[in-house]
Amino acid sequence: MLDTSLPSQKTQNLKPDTDDLETNIKTALSGGALCPVTVIVPAYNEADCIADTVNSLLAQTLVAEEIIVVDDGSTDNTAEICRRLGVTVVTPPANTGSKAGAQNYALSQVKTSYILAIDADTTLKPDALEQLFSAMDDPEVVAACGFVLPQHVNTLWERGRYVEYLMAFTFYKQVQEYYEKPLISSGCFSLFRSDYLRQIGGWSLRTMAEDMDLTWTAYQLGKKVRFIPEAVCYPIEPRNFNFMRKQLKRWAHGFIQNVRLHRKGILKVPFLRSIVTVMCWDASIASIFYLTLIPILSVMVSPLFLLGYIIDLPMILVPTLVKAYSRGETWKALSSIPAFMVLRVLNSAIFLEALFKEVVLKKTLTSYEKGH
Amino acid sequence: MNIGLPGAGVGGLYYLACTSFMPIKEIYLCLTKTEHKFRYRLVITQLGIACGIVLGLIAMYLLVSNVFGLNLSLADNSGGEKLWFYSLLPVVISLGLLMVLLGLIEVAAYLAKKNEALEDICRGGD
Repeated sequence: MLDTSLPSQKTQNLKPDTDDLETNIKTALSGGALCPVTVIVPAYNEADCIADTVNSLLAQTLVAEEIIVVDDGSTDNTAEICRRLGVTVVTPPANTGSKAGAQNYALSQVKTSYILAIDADTTLKPDALEQLFSAMDDPEVVAACGFVLPQHVNTLWERGRYVEYLMAFTFYKQVQEYYEKPLISSGCFSLFRSDYLRQIGGWSLRTMAEDMDLTWTAYQLGKKVRFIPEAVCYPIEPRNFNFMRKQLKRWAHGFIQNVRLHRKGILKVPFLRSIVTVMCWDASIASIFYLTLIPILSVMVSPLFLLGYIIDLPMILVPTLVKAYSRGETWKALSSIPAFMVLRVLNSAIFLEALFKEVVLKKTLTSYEKGH
Repeated sequence: MNIGLPGAGVGGLYYLACTSFMPIKEIYLCLTKTEHKFRYRLVITQLGIACGIVLGLIAMYLLVSNVFGLNLSLADNSGGEKLWFYSLLPVVISLGLLMVLLGLIEVAAYLAKKNEALEDICRGGD
């Protein structure tokens, strides 16, 4: 169970002057064994949620040797909260401009064999790190990711994302894991071998989806990436249209940039090339049909063509409900299905816009906007 | 991270096909690799989900057909065979499209490999 008390309440009993403060907190909160992992948490104005993230890291059954929060030019008291919680805070001379930039800043200070990358708004199930760490038994594995579920499921957009994750991580990602090619080691929560990250020069700044870039690069180097469904993390998802649009835009541009960057390389990777091909088709051609042909046919021929929007409902419903039932959240998932349908339309439209900008107008997205 | 149109399209069909292939792959691996551990739990769960999806799609089709009478505009009411033909047409088209896409990417991969081998030979000759 996560500690949801306010940061100020949590920090009251801590003694910042104690030499071995961090060790004390770890022991007090978790009693877990230390593991050779450094956690890197890039943060920009995360005062509202950073304490929950750090506390969930301290409460892990397997405790990281060091937690480094990269305060990337925050104007709120993010750094102060983190220092009170006893974790290392580093501050780049100026805002790095991206999550990857902040992560790279901390990379040079890492002394452990493994690095856990986690977003500042993401909390973890208590055994999440332990579960991910088990994937590293195989020396060929360079990255491992877990099951993602939204921390809050209230607004239309959060509900849509909740269904999307339940569906994708229960069905699609499991199939990808079976064929040993998870499409992405999620940026919000992934464990890496430090040597691998150094070998490839850290988190890449060349695309807007550095997690996809890292994963596809690993496959091209003949390395493995694993998906561990038992390792669950809970990020805060965009709660309104504006933030959701920014996030989807970044993901869509990031995907197109990665396809362009790795197009030759992924041809050499069986299964990955197939997934990317069908994904490209669905995201572009199918989206055009979905957003234009169905409305046109429904007006010109028959309104019954509108059924095209819900005809594939079982594809979404079955995996979603299988997972939701096991979590005791059947009604929450069922009532969130319409929100997913709305999110799907927005997702398609934003992808087409990104495709037009990147391919036709040659306007590459280079600025990183926070998704919440 | 999902982009575009998660759920619909040939992508969904591709994952269903991949799931259907899991037991065959498992049996093959068990027969050929002595140390292979049968991942029955994952395979059965995913197969169960895939079966649920297929049954759900059939149920959806029947629901739409009966409630909205969608097949009336497509099928010849006098012939049951024709009705089934039209009903299966979208599935056949989608499967065909998926085969074409996968075939094309495999050809592209083969050509890229061949091209690279040729470049290696040329470089060796220099």
